[in-house]
Amino acid sequence: MVRFIIRRLLAGVVLLLAISTLSYMLLYMGSGNIARTILGQSATEDTVAKKAAELGLDQPLLPRYLDWLQGAVHGDFGRSWFTSQPVAEAISSRLAVTLSLVIGTVILSAIIAVAMGVWAARKGGIADRIIQVVAILGFAIPNFLIAIFLVRFFALQLGWFKPTGYVQIGDSFTGWLGTVTLPIIALSVGAVAAVAQQVRGSVIDAMRQDWVRTLRSRGIPESRVVYKHVLRNAGGPALAVLAVQFVGLVGGAVIVEQIFAIPGLGQVSVTATSQGDIPLVMGLVVAVGIVVVLVNLLFDVLQGFLNPKVRLS
Amino acid sequence: MFSIKRGLIATAVVSTISLVAGCSGGSGTSDTTASGDSTSSTGGTLTIATSTPPTSMSAQNTGFGSESLYTQAVYDSLLRAEPDGTISPNLATEWSWNSDRTVLTMKLRDDVTFTDGTQFNADVAAQNVLRFRDGTSSNASWLSRVADAKAVDDYTLEIDMSEPDPSLEWYLTMNAGMQESPAAFDSPDVETTPIGSGPYILDTASTVVGTTYVYDANPDYWNPDEQYYSHLVLNIYSDSSALLNAIQGGQVNAGLVSDTTTIPQIEAAGFSLVSSELDYQGLLLMDRDGTLAPELSDVRVRQAINMAFDREALLNAFVSGYGSVTEQIWPESSSSYDASLDTTYSYDPEGAKALLAEAGYPNGFTLQMPSSSAFPSQIFPLIQQQLADIGITVEYTDLQIGDYINDMIAAKYPAAFMQLQEDPTDWQIATFSITPEAIFNPFHVEDATVTDLVSKIQQGDTAAGAELNKYVVDQAWFAPFYRLTTNFAVDANTTAVAQTGNVYPYIWNIKPAA
Repeated sequence: MVRFIIRRLLAGVVLLLAISTLSYMLLYMGSGNIARTILGQSATEDTVAKKAAELGLDQPLLPRYLDWLQGAVHGDFGRSWFTSQPVAEAISSRLAVTLSLVIGTVILSAIIAVAMGVWAARKGGIADRIIQVVAILGFAIPNFLIAIFLVRFFALQLGWFKPTGYVQIGDSFTGWLGTVTLPIIALSVGAVAAVAQQVRGSVIDAMRQDWVRTLRSRGIPESRVVYKHVLRNAGGPALAVLAVQFVGLVGGAVIVEQIFAIPGLGQVSVTATSQGDIPLVMGLVVAVGIVVVLVNLLFDVLQGFLNPKVRLS
Repeated sequence: MFSIKRGLIATAVVSTISLVAGCSGGSGTSDTTASGDSTSSTGGTLTIATSTPPTSMSAQNTGFGSESLYTQAVYDSLLRAEPDGTISPNLATEWSWNSDRTVLTMKLRDDVTFTDGTQFNADVAAQNVLRFRDGTSSNASWLSRVADAKAVDDYTLEIDMSEPDPSLEWYLTMNAGMQESPAAFDSPDVETTPIGSGPYILDTASTVVGTTYVYDANPDYWNPDEQYYSHLVLNIYSDSSALLNAIQGGQVNAGLVSDTTTIPQIEAAGFSLVSSELDYQGLLLMDRDGTLAPELSDVRVRQAINMAFDREALLNAFVSGYGSVTEQIWPESSSSYDASLDTTYSYDPEGAKALLAEAGYPNGFTLQMPSSSAFPSQIFPLIQQQLADIGITVEYTDLQIGDYINDMIAAKYPAAFMQLQEDPTDWQIATFSITPEAIFNPFHVEDATVTDLVSKIQQGDTAAGAELNKYVVDQAWFAPFYRLTTNFAVDANTTAVAQTGNVYPYIWNIKPAA
């Protein structure tokens, strides 16, 4: 197990290096006149040239990239070109915000999706139909539309929640809950739809297995058969879907964060990318890369717990 | 063997990660939902919605305009501009020019201390002036004619000019006159942690850079009569529907409205608008010497282009009518503005064609222009169509906004659509788009009449501005369409006064309603 984890981590480092090199090249190609974009239209060419030199934009690609890499290895990702904030600071605070949304969404949707999936698989008939319809709707309706509806109805109409903003969990747990509830619901709908379908399919498959019949014939209560034995077998594929959802949610949170004006990665990645804020975008690439590598590893380890066969492969 | 217990442990681990993630975020306390004080009076919190973050919080490198509130909250300027543009004392109490307007002498207040305890004096002021000149603020060039700044005595500042600059006092009311503590000059955090002498102090622990900026009243402010609030919060809403939700949810007291389609709902939420006109949109007919497009060197062609546009229709199509049609680049607030110039070229495609034929282009010609997705998408096709109606074929090159502006300034296009500010003073307008060195005269076109009028303006002749305005309209150097309305919304508890030449009202003019 330990060797497996170390191997996966090393592969992750190589992957990060490849992604960061590629991203830097692409950003470099696309960065037309960053100094002008930063200063706007009233700056003279002299001032723009001075700004470009200050940011090292007059350097060729290779030394610039090596310079960045050297800093990055030491944990120094420079400062945002557009707000002067140290990149590490900008990302650590925002990553935490986005992760708290995404993790909340994963937990909520896992619970709901398993309950729905098992219910549909065991009851069949009308329950199954309802779940199918709900799942298809969840797939079809984009999360930003759900977000807009939630704001209009629960925040503006009923006044139960604040329409925009974010409270740090460390400041006030209830305040935090008040600001993340609607975004998490908006993000969960699609994830529930995806995972519930998967759980339903896997549970139905597992229920048809011979060993389930054997367990029942020994008089083991049905609920125990389902929740202990069947779910464990069905859990693997559901976890795989959940892992994919997790990574997708980091990106999916972008629009929802904008709607709720939540200071997460979403807001910053949109502005940084459109402005060409290379230090900040590179920091984002690395941060999201690390999250993806770790999340995949975590889910693989969980898979290993669920199914010993996975560990050997 | 896996058991439920282990599953619980795994779940607990994940939850712990999420808790840690939530806690480790940011530094100290941060509540981005600092909602406006609904019973606002002196001593509450003022929450303002803004649209862009400041590029820098240092007095040396900060911009102005859309960034003005962030730094006006922490820094005092040497001079102050009243809403109508008249200049009054601030940190400088008296000032005077020498006879040839190359030396400005200013008497300074002696009772001002920076929030780190450093005393403000003439030496500090001199350093700040020179630092701004040598910094990378987008307005650094405003002080390019400053040869030197020095302290004559403790509270007398002398600024020496290499040549007269009639707008210098005006610049010193804005970021060019902002005063920062010398302790911050060499601080590594100067870009994000400002130290000024102004009405508020930035609370860096509660601030989330790029999202929300939180300030507390400066307890030792020298001018407490203008501190109306104990807290100031500037929240950035990059999305107009998020801004609307915040307004409808009562989370902000005031804010800049960029999306005119949301105005009816904002007014329905009990907000009123403080409106002013700041920018114009239109075509810059830059290649007046015919370097790239020989056709543009003929004044009749430029006049024909001016006659090609149905300005009222464009105003309604592009900005839902929030603005006023115009054919000049001087603002209505300027004494050089002439209302009659706005009807120099009526919409007359037939007349325009005849003028083009007279100039030797009966079959029109092809004109290269840039386009960019940074502007609303319907603008470029409509301009193309209006010019096609008089026989001019527009060929666009689509660019990123940074390249759009840069290529324009680098004289790569003979003409371009643009949105530019209408500055309050003749000298600013001339040096921004008319003189040979002006940024928006990229082909460095020289004209004897213009040179003569500009030098009169530089010497302080107040009548020359109107003459220059008329000459530029008659020569069709530009084809402005309309001035845009800037809308600043305030709730029932808040009042604001629009500021000549700035997108936001100045911070001390946003107050609790009586």
